[in-house]
Amino acid sequence: MSDENRESVAGLNDENRESVIDTRGKKRRHRWRGVIGVSIARLWHRPTRTNSSRIRMVIAVVALTSALLLCISSIALAVADGGAMQADDADVQIAPEGSGSLSAVDGVEGPRLGETNERAADIRSEDGVEHASPVLVEPTKFESPEGDPQTILLVGVVPDDTSRTVAGLSTAGLEPGDPHYDGGSYAGSTERQLVLSPTAADRLEASEGDERTVSSGRGDMDVPSLSVSAVDDSGAAGESDAPVALVHLSELQTFAGSSDGQLADRILVWGEPAAAESAADEAYPGAAVESTGGGDPSALFDDGLAFATSAIALLIGVTICASFVATTMGMAVDQDRRTIAVLQTVGISLSGRLLVVATTTIVATLCGGVIGIGLGMLGILAINAVAGATVASGTVAMAHPIFVPYALAVALVAGLIAVPYPLVIAAKTSVLTEVGR
Amino acid sequence: MKIRNRSLRRSSSTDTEATVEDETTPAVRLENVSHEYGSTTGRFRSRSEQAVTALREVSFDVERGEVLGLEGPSGSGKSTILHAVAGLLVPTAGTVSVLGTDLTSLSDRGRTKARRRHVGIVFQRFHLLESLSARANVALPLVQAGLSKSARRERATTLLTEVGLKDRITHLPGELSGGERQRVAIARALSTDPDILVADEPTGELDTETGANVLELLTNVGRDRAVVVASHDAATLGVADRVVTLRDGSVIEDER
Repeated sequence: MSDENRESVAGLNDENRESVIDTRGKKRRHRWRGVIGVSIARLWHRPTRTNSSRIRMVIAVVALTSALLLCISSIALAVADGGAMQADDADVQIAPEGSGSLSAVDGVEGPRLGETNERAADIRSEDGVEHASPVLVEPTKFESPEGDPQTILLVGVVPDDTSRTVAGLSTAGLEPGDPHYDGGSYAGSTERQLVLSPTAADRLEASEGDERTVSSGRGDMDVPSLSVSAVDDSGAAGESDAPVALVHLSELQTFAGSSDGQLADRILVWGEPAAAESAADEAYPGAAVESTGGGDPSALFDDGLAFATSAIALLIGVTICASFVATTMGMAVDQDRRTIAVLQTVGISLSGRLLVVATTTIVATLCGGVIGIGLGMLGILAINAVAGATVASGTVAMAHPIFVPYALAVALVAGLIAVPYPLVIAAKTSVLTEVGR
Repeated sequence: MKIRNRSLRRSSSTDTEATVEDETTPAVRLENVSHEYGSTTGRFRSRSEQAVTALREVSFDVERGEVLGLEGPSGSGKSTILHAVAGLLVPTAGTVSVLGTDLTSLSDRGRTKARRRHVGIVFQRFHLLESLSARANVALPLVQAGLSKSARRERATTLLTEVGLKDRITHLPGELSGGERQRVAIARALSTDPDILVADEPTGELDTETGANVLELLTNVGRDRAVVVASHDAATLGVADRVVTLRDGSVIEDER
């Protein structure tokens, strides 16, 4: 309570004193709400009903910056997390230490795990583990009915009796087991089954029962012809537009030349998380064992390149955004000094006048942030669409719900950094200069 | 016309300024007021900042219910007197009292508070906020008074109805004629029910007929207020109870 209030309530009984304080509290609340309301009303009317292009520019720049930031962060997240290739429902994942998923972008293979078939079998035998499957991802060219080569990401897995999700596709379309492996000889029978994502089916113009031929292979297997056992349009792959297909692991290993070392990109483990992690640690002591969350933003902190990319993008984005907002809002306030002067002439206090400027700045940047979220999501869709149609065959940008508060927080921080400059200009406004001598 | 709202009147006991108001205290008192623009003292004043004397020992009172006209050519000091009465500037010498409160002794914050409570201002160029509706402009001074939104809207609607703009409440200033804008400005000046109304060339931007209507409105609302009007328009000064004539910052005539 201010000294003024303290003095004026002295001498009153408790009830009256509380009443006076309550009334003053209400007045103060009405005052601040009123000033903020005036700021928002001005902000609403200025860009929509008057010719204030500067406010529109601030909103547009914050929106574009936020959208770009989200696009870069989504790419970084996909790099760190593996994109749609890790849209799994497993509880634990084993991956080589330091592996990143640049392969979806530029085709460069990262480090792989060895002896995966044997060790996955060992993991499966542990108590508390339901199932374990090595996962091998291999971009592969198929021939479309017109003879055009189409790149599909083949994902080799070992299915069991339970339907599980790997790379966004259900393993239910594959026969359980991996008969071609046959105790390490890779001489067993082949199923030659293929579970396609909708995008893959679209590219290959294939439906259930159709056969498609691989254009070329690196391994010992004859150029195979695979039969489409299912087109799965219910999973995450259906949402991400990734041209993905599931096949039996050993068949892909043979075809891709990965059978010698029983290579795979990672091993997925289903079961009790603690037991699964323990079994995974035991099988691969030097590998990264982590609980899978599908697009977990914390993965950004585990991947150096992804973290550096998103951190630099954040730093540059906030700096540019704050500089532009400060300059443009400063110019807007300078152009609008008369309004500040008029507020002074009608008795609005200095703090009230500064609150009008601060609220206008912060709300404008938040509006930009909200628009930026929409633009960013569109940008992520566009990146995936363009990348899918040109250089990459997987998801290269991954959206996440946390992007919404992230974009708003970035806009808010930019606004807070920018706000002192327009406040200084507002505070220096001379009422006599503006309303005339 | 019932523009006064007693619910907005404040007891002088809650004022922070040293109010010594009683029935005999004039609404406005200027005592030996002098003012120089650019009167920065010391060696840092440049040649281009030579002081310009705007007022020279001006003294007069304005009583409650009196309409005082300030007459004189441009640069004679009319606007400076209005700004001093409104607490927008502190004269370099002399005292300006409003309802017994010496504005020159108050801080900027105190003068702002005194202005909010006691003074309404009408400008020649209206100075409405273009991005706010007529009602929001009128309600603006009530924001700092701490009234609820509904109370502000009700008061603003009443005032706009009183000044004949009931059907222009939601219009932006840009959608109003000059006369309508000035009526909104007058309604805004009256929103806190001030004791003193100062008007600087209130008809300067209006045609003769519209100006006459605005003057009629001003004199009606000034029945129990002190109104100080600066103008060099004879019609405007014709509504004043008393006219003070200024030349080069000095009072040369004070005629009832």
